[in-house]
Amino acid sequence: MKKQFGLVLILVAGLILCGCGSGNTPSDENTVKLILGAYTTPREAYGQIILLFQDTWYEQTGQRVEFEESYLGSGAQSRAVVEGFEADIVALSLEADVNRIKDAGLITHDWKAGETKGIVTTSVVSFAVREGNPLNIQDWDDLAGADIDILTPNPNTSGGAMWNILALYGAALRGHVEGVPGDDPQAAEAFLMEVLSNVSVMDKAARDSILNFEKGIGDLAITYENEILVGRGSGQTYELVLPTSTILIENPIALVDANVDQHGTREASEAFLEFVYTIEAQRIFSQHGLRVVNQQVAEETSADYPPIDDLFTVETFGGWEPIMQDFFGEEGVYTRAILQVQGGE
Amino acid sequence: MRPQRNGLGAWIMIGAVVVYMGFLIVAPITALIIGAFGDGLTAVWQGITSQAFLRSLWLSLRIALLVVLVQSVFGTMIAWVLVRQDFWGKSFLNGLIDMPFAVSPVVVGYMLLLLFGRNGFLFPVLARLGISVAFSVPGMFLATLFVSLPFMAREMIPAIENLDREQEYAAETLGANQWTVFFRVIFPQLQSALLYGLTLTFARALGEFGAVLVIGGGVQGRTETTTLFIFRSLEERQFIDAYSAAILLGVFSVVIVFIADEMKRRHSKHLEAGEQAPVV
Amino acid sequence: MKAAALLRGRKRQRSGWLLRLPSVLYLVVMILIPLAVIIQDGFREGISELVHQISLPIARHAILLTLWTSGLMTLINAVMGLLTAYVLVRYDFPGKRLLNAIIDLPLAIPTLVTGVMLVMLYGPQEALGHCLYDKFDIEIIFAPTGIVIALLFISFPFVVRNIQPVLQNLDQTPERAAATLGASSWQIFWKVVFPALILPILNGSLLSFSRAVGEFGAVVIVAGNIPLKTQTAAVYTLGAVESQNRLGASAISFLLVAIAFTILLITNAIQKKWETR
Repeated sequence: MKKQFGLVLILVAGLILCGCGSGNTPSDENTVKLILGAYTTPREAYGQIILLFQDTWYEQTGQRVEFEESYLGSGAQSRAVVEGFEADIVALSLEADVNRIKDAGLITHDWKAGETKGIVTTSVVSFAVREGNPLNIQDWDDLAGADIDILTPNPNTSGGAMWNILALYGAALRGHVEGVPGDDPQAAEAFLMEVLSNVSVMDKAARDSILNFEKGIGDLAITYENEILVGRGSGQTYELVLPTSTILIENPIALVDANVDQHGTREASEAFLEFVYTIEAQRIFSQHGLRVVNQQVAEETSADYPPIDDLFTVETFGGWEPIMQDFFGEEGVYTRAILQVQGGE
Repeated sequence: MRPQRNGLGAWIMIGAVVVYMGFLIVAPITALIIGAFGDGLTAVWQGITSQAFLRSLWLSLRIALLVVLVQSVFGTMIAWVLVRQDFWGKSFLNGLIDMPFAVSPVVVGYMLLLLFGRNGFLFPVLARLGISVAFSVPGMFLATLFVSLPFMAREMIPAIENLDREQEYAAETLGANQWTVFFRVIFPQLQSALLYGLTLTFARALGEFGAVLVIGGGVQGRTETTTLFIFRSLEERQFIDAYSAAILLGVFSVVIVFIADEMKRRHSKHLEAGEQAPVV
Repeated sequence: MKAAALLRGRKRQRSGWLLRLPSVLYLVVMILIPLAVIIQDGFREGISELVHQISLPIARHAILLTLWTSGLMTLINAVMGLLTAYVLVRYDFPGKRLLNAIIDLPLAIPTLVTGVMLVMLYGPQEALGHCLYDKFDIEIIFAPTGIVIALLFISFPFVVRNIQPVLQNLDQTPERAAATLGASSWQIFWKVVFPALILPILNGSLLSFSRAVGEFGAVVIVAGNIPLKTQTAAVYTLGAVESQNRLGASAISFLLVAIAFTILLITNAIQKKWETR
């Protein structure tokens, strides 16, 4: 009995040890491993783009590239990279999250230097409503109604959530919300509070939020147009409603110098960064619900992505730096609003 | 005293318990099985043979096996020290063993992040050595080690307490050295408890979720255990994948715990019947 | 004989340290140091900041939610655990062995899987969940009710398995004596049986409470993450960690550890008091 036991232990130890060897570093010099840290919404798109890139890169260089992918809420992902997650490439929801990594000293080049200023895809804030639009949601003012149950993620962890708040506030400020006077910050804030008081679930990322919606929670989800299209693509029956005024969501992608240099993956990483702007890759993005930055593909798909009446960007608020402070800082517009709304329950 | 016939009161109580357990435990398990096979057998099969799942299973198994190995040695050691030795701080140490049971897995992951994250205390040292702990398998291993610590020790303590010291004295007076005494007298008596402890530790390690999520990050292809695979599959609307993996994990854990339970039952029956564990 | 005993003693002393040192070191490194880090980080900005973090509305609500759902669960679990143990020990009925085996299931099943199962059973899209919501206005998923149910599932074995052996080994002479003196079944139970079970009930309850307070896997799936509604302390901590809210994460983590430690002390004290009766 003792001998058998001992044998088993040795076998087990052996298994573990030989298991430990594999999967840590590339076994031969013809394989390179890239680590991608992205936000949740484009996971299907990047899944496909990675496959295409792997084939293309192999044809071009004879080198195999393996990917390790992580998809979290944009804010959570950005903080994970700062905390030690060694992503070679980050594809996040908003510029501020990339800047956080830059401020931590991990990105040392000017990632906004390119033609598209580092933006690889775009989308717009829109609404997901139940099949048939039973509550007849047309625009932002319908969200302040009495008996409506809204889902939007938590800005603490989700980039998408921040876009949602800015779109809401911006539309109100620009006078495109019925019943809310334009150019009136107080009125806009009041409107924000009204909508927030209708929010029932605040999940930690855009994907989690729409999944809740699919589980039957809520009447409406504020989310990326992209998220809704991907959901519908996988068989969901909710409908997309585009508001008359909304914000242009610009998603950046950047190379993380510190990790790339440590891993020795600069060549492949830079190639991937170029690849995502190619026509093939941008087509894949557009097939997965994203609006693209490539002009040609944008024209090809303009039927699927109708223009918005009043499309504004973060420039309306002066850019991300003031936004992080004025909206999401400790005394920010959103922070005040949410505390008032939920503290009062 | 054997009860005669069950009275009405008894049947009501039995009925209440059966209904309660039916709703609480059996119903959810049934729901999972029905849900997983909702798309048919092939979908389930595809789910559990997919590369991502198998990779996650391999990672979970590796971590669990290593954890079991380490805990079997240290858990036994700790139990031995607590039973057979007396020293200052003993009861404090004894209490400490139970802590992992009550500490939230998220807190466990966070503690490790504080130690090994980029801003952590131990980061500079390890970075120079080229060892990454946070967002890597070593970190997940440590987290799993933490949460599973009590199981082995708590099983071994009563087993060591019940050892037959007469046999040990006898062996010693016959001239056996300490190693011989351990391997030929003590160890056979502890086998059953050791095996049971191993099984509990293994099942607990396989099922760890919160701590490995926080310290590992769930990076596909690198730090995704089976539990994290299930979590991710839910997020990707790959429900059949998630449910199939959940069933596999659940069934596997339940089976090994049941086997260990049965072995323990049989062993204690042996002891009751007056048989002693074989000396040689 | 004496010489041999002396020799044995000296041998033991040497080997004593050989075992004790690694054991103590292991426990210190594995448990003490991480806990110390949390405590130290919690107090990094001073105790007033710690208190401030815990009193923030969202945090405070999460803590209270955790405490009351765990408390409610513990109460229900104590009652049902006692009932189940009693039924299993004192009565015979078909399927008893199966029932006994089922009790251990929650211990083996990973908590994440538990969460998934409960959503499959009670989710608003599922037949049962839909029916409960429409007819009785009962929300289970994404509501505190779901949290309590998930905690009940996970903690079920603790009270039962604590009571069973004690009840099994209970000397039934006093009960028989009471019966012959004309006591009713109820009286016998409350005055004779129950007092003997108080310790295991208490132990099992404390165990399930401390386990429930820290529960994450099942709760995060079943309850979601709605601040001020269904966000428990553990889920709040995850949010704080992910948003790099170090002050918040450390403060709540410290609180959770403190609660766990306190319960441990109480359990130990009760054990000691019982043993010296």
